[in-house]
Amino acid sequence: MQIQKKLEQIPGHEVASHRIDSWWWLVVGVIAIVMLLATARPDPYWRILRFVSDGLVVTISVTLVAFVLTLVAGLVAALGRLSKIGFIRWFTTIYVEIARGVPLLVQLLFWYFAFPSVIQAFGRLIQYRPLERYLANPFAMAIIGLTFCYAAYMSEVYRAGIQSIPKGQNEAARSLGMTHGQAMRHIILPQAVKVILPPVGNEFISLLKDSSLVSIVAVADMTRRGREFMAANFIPVETWIMIALIYLVMTLVSARVVAWIERKTQTEAH
Amino acid sequence: MNNQPIIHIENLHKHFGPTAALNGVDLDVYPGEVVVIVGPSGSGKSTLLRCINRLEKFDAGSVVVDGIPLTTAENINAIRTEVGMVFQSFNLFPHLTALENITIAQKVVRKRSKADANETALALLAKVGIPEKSHNFPGQLSGGQQQRVAIARALAMNPKIMLFDEPTSALDPEMIQEVLDVMLQLAREGMTMVVVSHEMGFARAAADRAVLMDEGVIVEEGPPDILFNHPTHERTKSFLSKILV
Repeated sequence: MQIQKKLEQIPGHEVASHRIDSWWWLVVGVIAIVMLLATARPDPYWRILRFVSDGLVVTISVTLVAFVLTLVAGLVAALGRLSKIGFIRWFTTIYVEIARGVPLLVQLLFWYFAFPSVIQAFGRLIQYRPLERYLANPFAMAIIGLTFCYAAYMSEVYRAGIQSIPKGQNEAARSLGMTHGQAMRHIILPQAVKVILPPVGNEFISLLKDSSLVSIVAVADMTRRGREFMAANFIPVETWIMIALIYLVMTLVSARVVAWIERKTQTEAH
Repeated sequence: MNNQPIIHIENLHKHFGPTAALNGVDLDVYPGEVVVIVGPSGSGKSTLLRCINRLEKFDAGSVVVDGIPLTTAENINAIRTEVGMVFQSFNLFPHLTALENITIAQKVVRKRSKADANETALALLAKVGIPEKSHNFPGQLSGGQQQRVAIARALAMNPKIMLFDEPTSALDPEMIQEVLDVMLQLAREGMTMVVVSHEMGFARAAADRAVLMDEGVIVEEGPPDILFNHPTHERTKSFLSKILV
Protein backbone atom coordinates (compact mmCIF):
# COMPACT_ATOMS: atom_id res chain seq x y z
CA MET A 1 0.00 0.00 0.00
CA GLN A 2 2.77 2.38 0.99
CA ILE A 3 4.76 1.76 -2.16
CA GLN A 4 1.69 2.23 -4.30
CA LYS A 5 0.94 5.62 -2.73
CA LYS A 6 4.53 6.69 -3.35
CA LEU A 7 4.31 5.53 -6.97
CA GLU A 8 1.12 7.51 -7.45
CA GLN A 9 2.96 10.68 -6.50
CA ILE A 10 5.45 10.26 -9.32
CA PRO A 11 4.19 12.38 -12.26
CA GLY A 12 3.12 10.36 -15.24
CA HIS A 13 3.15 7.11 -13.33
CA GLU A 14 -0.25 5.55 -13.40
CA VAL A 15 -0.91 2.64 -11.09
CA ALA A 16 -2.10 -0.39 -13.03
CA SER A 17 -5.32 -0.86 -11.09
CA HIS A 18 -6.59 2.60 -11.97
CA ARG A 19 -5.86 2.24 -15.66
CA ILE A 20 -7.97 0.41 -18.19
CA ASP A 21 -6.10 -2.72 -19.16
CA SER A 22 -4.34 -1.98 -22.45
CA TRP A 23 -5.21 -5.42 -23.79
CA TRP A 24 -8.85 -4.34 -24.07
CA TRP A 25 -7.93 -2.79 -27.42
CA LEU A 26 -7.52 -6.34 -28.75
CA VAL A 27 -11.10 -7.13 -27.69
CA VAL A 28 -12.34 -3.94 -29.29
CA GLY A 29 -10.37 -4.78 -32.42
CA VAL A 30 -11.84 -8.26 -32.81
CA ILE A 31 -15.37 -6.98 -32.19
CA ALA A 32 -14.75 -4.28 -34.82
CA ILE A 33 -13.68 -6.92 -37.33
CA VAL A 34 -16.85 -8.94 -36.68
CA MET A 35 -19.03 -5.85 -37.09
CA LEU A 36 -17.14 -4.73 -40.16
CA LEU A 37 -17.56 -8.13 -41.81
CA ALA A 38 -21.26 -8.27 -40.90
CA THR A 39 -22.02 -4.81 -42.26
CA ALA A 40 -19.67 -4.70 -45.25
CA ARG A 41 -20.62 -8.18 -46.48
CA PRO A 42 -23.96 -9.07 -44.88
CA ASP A 43 -24.06 -12.01 -47.22
CA PRO A 44 -22.70 -14.38 -45.96
CA TYR A 45 -21.38 -12.94 -42.66
CA TRP A 46 -24.57 -11.42 -41.27
CA ARG A 47 -26.43 -14.59 -42.36
CA ILE A 48 -23.92 -16.76 -40.51
CA LEU A 49 -24.27 -14.63 -37.40
CA ARG A 50 -28.05 -14.88 -37.44
CA PHE A 51 -27.98 -18.60 -38.17
CA VAL A 52 -25.64 -19.49 -35.27
CA SER A 53 -27.05 -16.97 -32.77
CA ASP A 54 -29.30 -19.55 -31.10
CA GLY A 55 -26.26 -21.84 -30.89
CA LEU A 56 -24.37 -19.01 -29.22
CA VAL A 57 -27.06 -18.86 -26.53
CA VAL A 58 -26.70 -22.64 -26.04
CA THR A 59 -22.90 -22.37 -25.82
CA ILE A 60 -23.14 -19.66 -23.18
CA SER A 61 -25.83 -21.52 -21.22
CA VAL A 62 -23.96 -24.83 -21.26
CA THR A 63 -20.77 -23.07 -20.15
CA LEU A 64 -22.39 -21.07 -17.36
CA VAL A 65 -24.44 -23.95 -15.94
CA ALA A 66 -21.50 -26.37 -16.08
CA PHE A 67 -19.22 -23.73 -14.54
CA VAL A 68 -21.48 -23.09 -11.55
CA LEU A 69 -21.86 -26.84 -10.95
CA THR A 70 -18.10 -27.23 -11.35
CA LEU A 71 -17.47 -24.62 -8.67
CA VAL A 72 -19.62 -26.53 -6.19
CA ALA A 73 -18.57 -30.08 -7.13
CA GLY A 74 -14.91 -29.03 -7.28
CA LEU A 75 -15.04 -27.72 -3.72
CA VAL A 76 -16.66 -30.93 -2.50
CA ALA A 77 -13.95 -32.98 -4.25
CA ALA A 78 -11.18 -30.76 -2.87
CA LEU A 79 -12.46 -31.11 0.70
CA GLY A 80 -12.74 -34.85 0.05
CA ARG A 81 -9.09 -35.04 -0.99
CA LEU A 82 -8.07 -33.14 2.14
CA SER A 83 -10.33 -35.23 4.36
CA LYS A 84 -8.91 -37.05 7.36
CA ILE A 85 -11.11 -40.04 6.57
CA GLY A 86 -9.08 -42.44 4.45
CA PHE A 87 -11.96 -43.84 2.44
CA ILE A 88 -13.22 -40.42 1.34
CA ARG A 89 -9.71 -39.33 0.42
CA TRP A 90 -9.13 -42.54 -1.54
CA PHE A 91 -12.47 -42.30 -3.35
CA THR A 92 -12.03 -38.66 -4.43
CA THR A 93 -8.43 -39.28 -5.51
CA ILE A 94 -9.56 -42.12 -7.77
CA TYR A 95 -12.29 -39.88 -9.21
CA VAL A 96 -9.86 -37.02 -9.91
CA GLU A 97 -7.38 -39.36 -11.58
CA ILE A 98 -10.07 -40.88 -13.82
CA ALA A 99 -11.63 -37.56 -14.76
CA ARG A 100 -8.27 -36.03 -15.61
CA GLY A 101 -6.89 -39.12 -17.31
CA VAL A 102 -9.67 -39.76 -19.84
CA PRO A 103 -10.06 -37.33 -22.78
CA LEU A 104 -13.03 -35.01 -22.35
CA LEU A 105 -14.44 -36.00 -25.75
CA VAL A 106 -14.41 -39.67 -24.73
CA GLN A 107 -16.12 -38.76 -21.46
CA LEU A 108 -18.83 -36.81 -23.29
CA LEU A 109 -19.40 -39.75 -25.65
CA PHE A 110 -19.65 -42.07 -22.66
CA TRP A 111 -22.23 -39.93 -20.85
CA TYR A 112 -24.37 -39.50 -23.95
CA PHE A 113 -24.18 -42.96 -25.58
CA ALA A 114 -23.07 -45.42 -22.91
CA PHE A 115 -24.47 -44.08 -19.65
CA PRO A 116 -28.17 -44.33 -20.71
CA SER A 117 -27.61 -47.97 -21.71
CA VAL A 118 -26.14 -48.65 -18.31
CA ILE A 119 -29.19 -47.04 -16.67
CA GLN A 120 -31.55 -49.09 -18.89
CA ALA A 121 -29.75 -52.31 -18.04
CA PHE A 122 -29.96 -51.41 -14.35
CA GLY A 123 -33.70 -50.70 -14.82
CA ARG A 124 -34.20 -54.13 -16.36
CA LEU A 125 -32.25 -55.66 -13.51
CA ILE A 126 -34.50 -54.17 -10.84
CA GLN A 127 -37.54 -54.29 -13.21
CA TYR A 128 -38.29 -50.61 -12.85
CA ARG A 129 -40.08 -49.34 -15.96
CA PRO A 130 -39.07 -45.62 -15.96
CA LEU A 131 -35.40 -46.60 -15.80
CA GLU A 132 -35.79 -49.21 -18.56
CA ARG A 133 -37.12 -46.50 -20.86
CA TYR A 134 -34.52 -43.97 -19.82
CA LEU A 135 -33.41 -41.75 -22.69
CA ALA A 136 -30.51 -39.35 -22.65
CA ASN A 137 -31.25 -35.66 -22.65
CA PRO A 138 -28.36 -34.27 -24.73
CA PHE A 139 -28.20 -30.98 -22.86
CA ALA A 140 -28.25 -32.65 -19.42
CA MET A 141 -25.68 -35.27 -20.43
CA ALA A 142 -23.39 -32.60 -21.89
CA ILE A 143 -23.60 -30.62 -18.64
CA ILE A 144 -22.90 -33.75 -16.58
CA GLY A 145 -19.96 -34.67 -18.81
CA LEU A 146 -18.38 -31.21 -18.65
CA THR A 147 -18.96 -30.93 -14.90
CA PHE A 148 -17.61 -34.41 -14.16
CA CYS A 149 -14.38 -33.61 -15.95
CA TYR A 150 -13.91 -29.98 -14.96
CA ALA A 151 -14.78 -30.48 -11.28
CA ALA A 152 -11.71 -32.71 -11.06
CA TYR A 153 -9.47 -29.97 -12.44
CA MET A 154 -11.22 -27.40 -10.28
CA SER A 155 -10.70 -29.52 -7.16
CA GLU A 156 -6.95 -29.36 -7.78
CA VAL A 157 -7.18 -25.57 -8.05
CA TYR A 158 -9.10 -25.38 -4.76
CA ARG A 159 -6.74 -27.82 -3.09
CA ALA A 160 -3.70 -25.79 -4.08
CA GLY A 161 -5.43 -22.66 -2.80
CA ILE A 162 -6.37 -24.21 0.53
CA GLN A 163 -2.89 -25.67 1.00
CA SER A 164 -1.29 -22.31 0.22
CA ILE A 165 -2.75 -20.88 3.44
CA PRO A 166 -0.13 -21.19 6.22
CA LYS A 167 -0.73 -23.98 8.73
CA GLY A 168 -0.66 -21.45 11.56
CA GLN A 169 -3.99 -20.03 10.36
CA ASN A 170 -5.74 -23.32 10.95
CA GLU A 171 -3.94 -23.82 14.26
CA ALA A 172 -4.98 -20.37 15.46
CA ALA A 173 -8.59 -21.02 14.48
CA ARG A 174 -8.64 -24.46 16.08
CA SER A 175 -6.96 -23.19 19.25
CA LEU A 176 -9.87 -20.77 19.61
CA GLY A 177 -12.19 -23.75 19.70
CA MET A 178 -13.42 -23.66 16.11
CA THR A 179 -14.31 -26.98 14.52
CA HIS A 180 -12.64 -28.08 11.29
CA GLY A 181 -15.67 -26.86 9.32
CA GLN A 182 -15.82 -23.49 11.08
CA ALA A 183 -12.11 -22.91 10.52
CA MET A 184 -12.53 -23.78 6.82
CA ARG A 185 -15.53 -21.53 6.35
CA HIS A 186 -14.47 -18.46 8.32
CA ILE A 187 -10.68 -18.52 8.14
CA ILE A 188 -9.21 -20.73 5.40
CA LEU A 189 -11.62 -20.45 2.46
CA PRO A 190 -12.01 -16.63 2.57
CA GLN A 191 -8.24 -16.38 2.27
CA ALA A 192 -7.96 -19.14 -0.33
CA VAL A 193 -10.51 -17.41 -2.58
CA LYS A 194 -8.06 -14.63 -3.38
CA VAL A 195 -5.40 -17.14 -4.33
CA ILE A 196 -7.63 -19.26 -6.54
CA LEU A 197 -9.58 -16.55 -8.39
CA PRO A 198 -7.11 -16.25 -11.31
CA PRO A 199 -6.78 -20.02 -11.93
CA VAL A 200 -10.56 -20.43 -11.55
CA GLY A 201 -10.96 -17.77 -14.23
CA ASN A 202 -8.62 -19.70 -16.48
CA GLU A 203 -10.66 -22.86 -15.92
CA PHE A 204 -13.73 -20.89 -17.02
CA ILE A 205 -12.03 -19.93 -20.28
CA SER A 206 -10.96 -23.53 -20.91
CA LEU A 207 -14.49 -24.69 -20.19
CA LEU A 208 -15.91 -22.14 -22.61
CA LYS A 209 -13.66 -23.44 -25.38
CA ASP A 210 -14.16 -27.11 -24.53
CA SER A 211 -17.92 -26.62 -24.56
CA SER A 212 -17.59 -26.80 -28.37
CA LEU A 213 -17.04 -30.57 -27.91
CA VAL A 214 -20.68 -30.99 -26.89
CA SER A 215 -21.58 -30.42 -30.56
CA ILE A 216 -20.59 -34.08 -31.04
CA VAL A 217 -23.29 -35.31 -28.67
CA ALA A 218 -26.38 -33.71 -30.24
CA VAL A 219 -26.30 -30.37 -28.48
CA ALA A 220 -27.03 -27.56 -30.92
CA ASP A 221 -24.31 -25.24 -29.69
CA MET A 222 -22.57 -22.67 -31.84
CA THR A 223 -20.07 -25.14 -33.27
CA ARG A 224 -22.82 -27.56 -34.28
CA ARG A 225 -24.86 -24.76 -35.82
CA GLY A 226 -21.74 -23.75 -37.74
CA ARG A 227 -21.44 -27.25 -39.16
CA GLU A 228 -25.11 -27.18 -40.14
CA PHE A 229 -24.66 -23.84 -41.89
CA MET A 230 -21.60 -25.08 -43.72
CA ALA A 231 -23.40 -28.22 -44.85
CA ALA A 232 -26.27 -26.18 -46.27
CA ASN A 233 -24.25 -23.39 -47.89
CA PHE A 234 -20.84 -24.85 -48.73
CA ILE A 235 -18.86 -21.81 -47.61
CA PRO A 236 -16.48 -23.28 -45.02
CA VAL A 237 -13.93 -20.47 -44.96
CA GLU A 238 -16.41 -17.70 -44.15
CA THR A 239 -18.34 -19.91 -41.70
CA TRP A 240 -15.38 -20.97 -39.59
CA ILE A 241 -13.75 -17.54 -39.66
CA MET A 242 -16.96 -16.10 -38.23
CA ILE A 243 -17.35 -18.86 -35.59
CA ALA A 244 -13.70 -18.56 -34.59
CA LEU A 245 -14.04 -14.77 -34.22
CA ILE A 246 -17.08 -15.10 -31.97
CA TYR A 247 -15.28 -17.62 -29.71
CA LEU A 248 -12.30 -15.31 -29.69
CA VAL A 249 -14.40 -12.34 -28.56
CA MET A 250 -15.81 -14.40 -25.68
CA THR A 251 -12.47 -15.78 -24.51
CA LEU A 252 -10.69 -12.44 -24.82
CA VAL A 253 -13.40 -10.68 -22.83
CA SER A 254 -13.24 -13.44 -20.19
CA ALA A 255 -9.46 -13.17 -20.00
CA ARG A 256 -9.68 -9.41 -19.47
CA VAL A 257 -12.26 -9.86 -16.72
CA VAL A 258 -10.02 -12.46 -15.03
CA ALA A 259 -7.04 -10.10 -15.27
CA TRP A 260 -9.14 -7.30 -13.79
CA ILE A 261 -10.28 -9.46 -10.87
CA GLU A 262 -6.70 -10.59 -10.34
CA ARG A 263 -5.44 -7.01 -10.09
CA LYS A 264 -8.31 -6.00 -7.87
CA THR A 265 -7.69 -8.79 -5.36
CA GLN A 266 -3.97 -8.06 -5.38
CA THR A 267 -4.40 -4.37 -4.59
CA GLU A 268 -6.93 -5.23 -1.91
CA ALA A 269 -4.53 -7.66 -0.26
CA HIS A 270 -3.21 -6.24 2.95
CA MET B 1 -3.10 -21.59 45.82
CA ASN B 2 -5.53 -24.34 45.05
CA ASN B 3 -4.39 -27.90 45.65
CA GLN B 4 -6.04 -29.32 42.53
CA PRO B 5 -3.84 -28.82 39.44
CA ILE B 6 -5.67 -27.23 36.50
CA ILE B 7 -3.23 -28.88 34.10
CA HIS B 8 -2.08 -32.38 34.93
CA ILE B 9 0.45 -33.95 32.59
CA GLU B 10 1.64 -37.46 33.23
CA ASN B 11 4.37 -39.45 31.54
CA LEU B 12 3.88 -37.70 28.19
CA HIS B 13 5.59 -39.20 25.15
CA LYS B 14 5.66 -37.82 21.63
CA HIS B 15 7.69 -38.92 18.61
CA PHE B 16 8.22 -37.21 15.28
CA GLY B 17 9.24 -40.17 13.19
CA PRO B 18 12.26 -41.77 14.85
CA THR B 19 13.13 -38.73 17.01
CA ALA B 20 11.56 -38.41 20.42
CA ALA B 21 10.29 -34.88 21.12
CA LEU B 22 8.88 -35.70 24.54
CA ASN B 23 10.33 -38.52 26.57
CA GLY B 24 8.15 -38.89 29.64
CA VAL B 25 7.14 -35.46 30.91
CA ASP B 26 5.27 -34.94 34.18
CA LEU B 27 4.03 -31.45 34.96
CA ASP B 28 1.30 -30.01 37.16
CA VAL B 29 0.17 -26.42 36.87
CA TYR B 30 -2.06 -24.94 39.55
CA PRO B 31 -4.72 -22.27 39.09
CA GLY B 32 -3.24 -18.79 39.07
CA GLU B 33 0.27 -20.09 38.60
CA VAL B 34 2.69 -18.71 36.01
CA VAL B 35 5.11 -21.32 34.70
CA VAL B 36 7.95 -20.40 32.38
CA ILE B 37 9.53 -23.18 30.33
CA VAL B 38 13.08 -22.65 29.11
CA GLY B 39 15.49 -24.94 27.32
CA PRO B 40 17.63 -25.29 24.22
CA SER B 41 15.98 -25.42 20.81
CA GLY B 42 14.63 -28.85 20.04
CA SER B 43 14.22 -29.67 23.71
CA GLY B 44 10.47 -30.24 23.32
CA LYS B 45 9.16 -27.11 25.06
CA SER B 46 6.87 -26.02 22.22
CA THR B 47 5.72 -29.58 21.64
CA LEU B 48 4.79 -29.87 25.32
CA LEU B 49 2.82 -26.62 25.12
CA ARG B 50 1.05 -27.72 21.95
CA CYS B 51 0.04 -30.99 23.61
CA ILE B 52 -1.87 -29.06 26.27
CA ASN B 53 -4.52 -28.00 23.75
CA ARG B 54 -3.90 -30.98 21.50
CA LEU B 55 -2.58 -29.04 18.51
CA GLU B 56 -0.09 -31.87 18.69
CA LYS B 57 -1.23 -35.43 19.27
CA PHE B 58 0.79 -37.33 21.83
CA ASP B 59 1.74 -40.99 21.63
CA ALA B 60 1.51 -42.02 25.26
CA GLY B 61 0.72 -40.56 28.64
CA SER B 62 -2.16 -38.33 29.67
CA VAL B 63 -3.10 -34.68 29.73
CA VAL B 64 -5.99 -33.53 31.92
CA VAL B 65 -7.02 -29.90 31.65
CA ASP B 66 -9.55 -28.44 34.08
CA GLY B 67 -10.62 -31.97 35.02
CA ILE B 68 -11.25 -32.99 31.39
CA PRO B 69 -8.93 -35.61 29.85
CA LEU B 70 -7.89 -34.86 26.26
CA THR B 71 -9.30 -37.84 24.44
CA THR B 72 -12.26 -37.39 22.11
CA ALA B 73 -12.99 -34.64 19.62
CA GLU B 74 -15.71 -33.05 21.78
CA ASN B 75 -13.35 -32.91 24.73
CA ILE B 76 -10.69 -31.24 22.66
CA ASN B 77 -12.96 -28.48 21.39
CA ALA B 78 -14.30 -27.95 24.91
CA ILE B 79 -10.76 -27.64 26.22
CA ARG B 80 -9.65 -25.36 23.43
CA THR B 81 -12.28 -22.76 24.30
CA GLU B 82 -10.91 -22.70 27.86
CA VAL B 83 -7.25 -22.57 26.83
CA GLY B 84 -6.01 -19.50 24.96
CA MET B 85 -2.92 -19.80 22.81
CA VAL B 86 -0.50 -17.16 21.60
CA PHE B 87 1.92 -18.12 18.82
CA GLN B 88 5.44 -17.05 17.98
CA SER B 89 4.34 -15.87 14.52
CA PHE B 90 1.08 -14.25 15.80
CA ASN B 91 -1.08 -16.12 13.26
CA LEU B 92 -3.59 -13.30 13.08
CA PHE B 93 -6.20 -13.72 10.38
CA PRO B 94 -4.95 -11.37 7.63
CA HIS B 95 -8.33 -10.99 5.92
CA LEU B 96 -9.98 -9.63 9.08
CA THR B 97 -9.46 -6.35 10.94
CA ALA B 98 -8.00 -6.31 14.45
CA LEU B 99 -11.53 -6.05 15.82
CA GLU B 100 -12.85 -8.90 13.65
CA ASN B 101 -9.88 -11.06 14.63
CA ILE B 102 -11.08 -10.76 18.21
CA THR B 103 -14.80 -11.14 17.51
CA ILE B 104 -14.85 -14.03 15.02
CA ALA B 105 -14.42 -16.89 17.49
CA GLN B 106 -16.73 -15.22 20.02
CA LYS B 107 -19.46 -15.19 17.39
CA VAL B 108 -18.74 -18.57 15.80
CA VAL B 109 -17.79 -20.61 18.86
CA ARG B 110 -19.34 -18.79 21.82
CA LYS B 111 -22.41 -17.72 19.78
CA ARG B 112 -22.27 -14.21 21.19
CA SER B 113 -24.17 -11.41 19.48
CA LYS B 114 -22.23 -9.01 17.29
CA ALA B 115 -22.79 -6.17 19.76
CA ASP B 116 -21.54 -8.22 22.72
CA ALA B 117 -18.53 -9.49 20.79
CA ASN B 118 -17.61 -5.98 19.65
CA GLU B 119 -17.91 -4.64 23.17
CA THR B 120 -15.62 -7.35 24.53
CA ALA B 121 -13.17 -6.81 21.69
CA LEU B 122 -12.96 -3.05 22.15
CA ALA B 123 -12.44 -3.45 25.89
CA LEU B 124 -9.63 -5.94 25.25
CA LEU B 125 -7.98 -3.72 22.63
CA ALA B 126 -8.00 -0.94 25.22
CA LYS B 127 -6.52 -3.33 27.75
CA VAL B 128 -3.61 -4.28 25.47
CA GLY B 129 -3.09 -0.60 24.71
CA ILE B 130 -4.16 -0.24 21.07
CA PRO B 131 -7.83 0.83 21.09
CA GLU B 132 -7.22 3.06 18.06
CA LYS B 133 -6.19 0.13 15.84
CA SER B 134 -9.52 -1.70 15.87
CA HIS B 135 -10.18 -1.15 12.17
CA ASN B 136 -6.65 -1.82 10.96
CA PHE B 137 -5.76 -5.06 9.24
CA PRO B 138 -2.87 -7.13 10.66
CA GLY B 139 -0.65 -6.14 7.74
CA GLN B 140 -0.93 -2.51 8.83
CA LEU B 141 0.23 -3.21 12.40
CA SER B 142 3.72 -3.57 13.81
CA GLY B 143 4.82 -6.96 15.14
CA GLY B 144 4.30 -5.87 18.72
CA GLN B 145 0.82 -4.58 17.95
CA GLN B 146 -0.04 -7.80 16.10
CA GLN B 147 1.04 -9.91 19.04
CA ARG B 148 -1.04 -7.77 21.40
CA VAL B 149 -4.08 -8.26 19.15
CA ALA B 150 -3.34 -12.00 19.22
CA ILE B 151 -3.34 -11.93 23.03
CA ALA B 152 -6.63 -10.02 23.01
CA ARG B 153 -8.05 -12.55 20.55
CA ALA B 154 -7.25 -15.40 22.92
CA LEU B 155 -8.53 -13.51 25.98
CA ALA B 156 -11.86 -12.81 24.27
CA MET B 157 -12.84 -16.44 24.83
CA ASN B 158 -12.46 -15.93 28.60
CA PRO B 159 -9.93 -18.72 28.90
CA LYS B 160 -8.93 -20.18 32.23
CA ILE B 161 -5.42 -20.85 30.98
CA MET B 162 -3.18 -18.96 28.56
CA LEU B 163 -0.38 -20.67 26.64
CA PHE B 164 2.39 -18.56 25.13
CA ASP B 165 4.68 -20.20 22.58
CA GLU B 166 7.77 -17.98 22.32
CA PRO B 167 5.58 -14.87 22.04
CA THR B 168 8.44 -12.40 21.65
CA SER B 169 10.90 -14.43 19.56
CA ALA B 170 9.68 -13.03 16.23
CA LEU B 171 9.68 -9.42 17.43
CA ASP B 172 12.15 -6.63 16.87
CA PRO B 173 13.92 -5.82 20.16
CA GLU B 174 12.15 -2.50 20.68
CA MET B 175 8.74 -4.21 20.58
CA ILE B 176 9.41 -7.00 23.05
CA GLN B 177 8.67 -4.95 26.15
CA GLU B 178 5.19 -3.84 25.06
CA VAL B 179 4.16 -7.48 24.71
CA LEU B 180 5.83 -8.52 27.96
CA ASP B 181 4.04 -5.68 29.74
CA VAL B 182 0.68 -7.07 28.67
CA MET B 183 1.74 -10.53 29.83
CA LEU B 184 2.94 -9.15 33.18
CA GLN B 185 -0.37 -7.43 33.67
CA LEU B 186 -2.17 -10.71 32.95
CA ALA B 187 0.02 -12.55 35.42
CA ARG B 188 -0.75 -9.97 38.11
CA GLU B 189 -4.46 -10.41 37.47
CA GLY B 190 -4.07 -14.05 38.41
CA MET B 191 -4.27 -15.70 34.98
CA THR B 192 -2.90 -19.22 34.84
CA MET B 193 -0.09 -19.04 32.31
CA VAL B 194 2.36 -21.46 30.72
CA VAL B 195 5.01 -19.53 28.83
CA VAL B 196 7.77 -20.86 26.60
CA SER B 197 10.22 -17.99 26.53
CA HIS B 198 13.81 -17.05 27.15
CA GLU B 199 12.90 -13.63 28.52
CA MET B 200 14.65 -13.94 31.86
CA GLY B 201 13.41 -10.53 32.99
CA PHE B 202 9.83 -11.64 32.51
CA ALA B 203 10.48 -14.99 34.17
CA ARG B 204 11.98 -13.33 37.25
CA ALA B 205 9.23 -10.73 37.48
CA ALA B 206 6.19 -12.88 36.79
CA ALA B 207 6.90 -16.59 37.06
CA ASP B 208 6.10 -18.66 40.12
CA ARG B 209 8.10 -21.48 38.69
CA ALA B 210 10.68 -21.98 35.96
CA VAL B 211 11.10 -25.31 34.24
CA LEU B 212 14.17 -26.33 32.26
CA MET B 213 13.64 -28.89 29.53
CA ASP B 214 16.26 -30.73 27.54
CA GLU B 215 15.96 -33.67 25.15
CA GLY B 216 12.29 -34.16 25.84
CA VAL B 217 12.41 -34.30 29.63
CA ILE B 218 12.16 -31.83 32.47
CA VAL B 219 15.69 -31.50 33.86
CA GLU B 220 15.07 -29.15 36.71
CA GLU B 221 12.38 -26.87 38.06
CA GLY B 222 11.97 -24.34 40.81
CA PRO B 223 11.41 -20.67 41.57
CA PRO B 224 13.05 -18.64 38.78
CA ASP B 225 15.56 -16.87 41.02
CA ILE B 226 16.82 -20.13 42.46
CA LEU B 227 16.83 -21.97 39.12
CA PHE B 228 18.63 -19.17 37.27
CA ASN B 229 21.07 -18.17 40.03
CA HIS B 230 21.81 -21.49 41.70
CA PRO B 231 21.18 -24.27 39.20
CA THR B 232 22.02 -27.69 40.51
CA HIS B 233 22.02 -29.70 37.32
CA GLU B 234 24.93 -29.62 34.87
CA ARG B 235 22.64 -29.26 31.86
CA THR B 236 20.91 -26.28 33.45
CA LYS B 237 24.24 -24.61 34.11
CA SER B 238 25.46 -25.21 30.58
CA PHE B 239 22.22 -23.89 29.08
CA LEU B 240 22.11 -20.82 31.29
CA SER B 241 25.74 -19.98 30.56
CA LYS B 242 24.82 -19.84 26.88
CA ILE B 243 21.85 -17.51 27.18
CA LEU B 244 22.98 -15.33 30.11
CA VAL B 245 26.02 -13.81 28.48
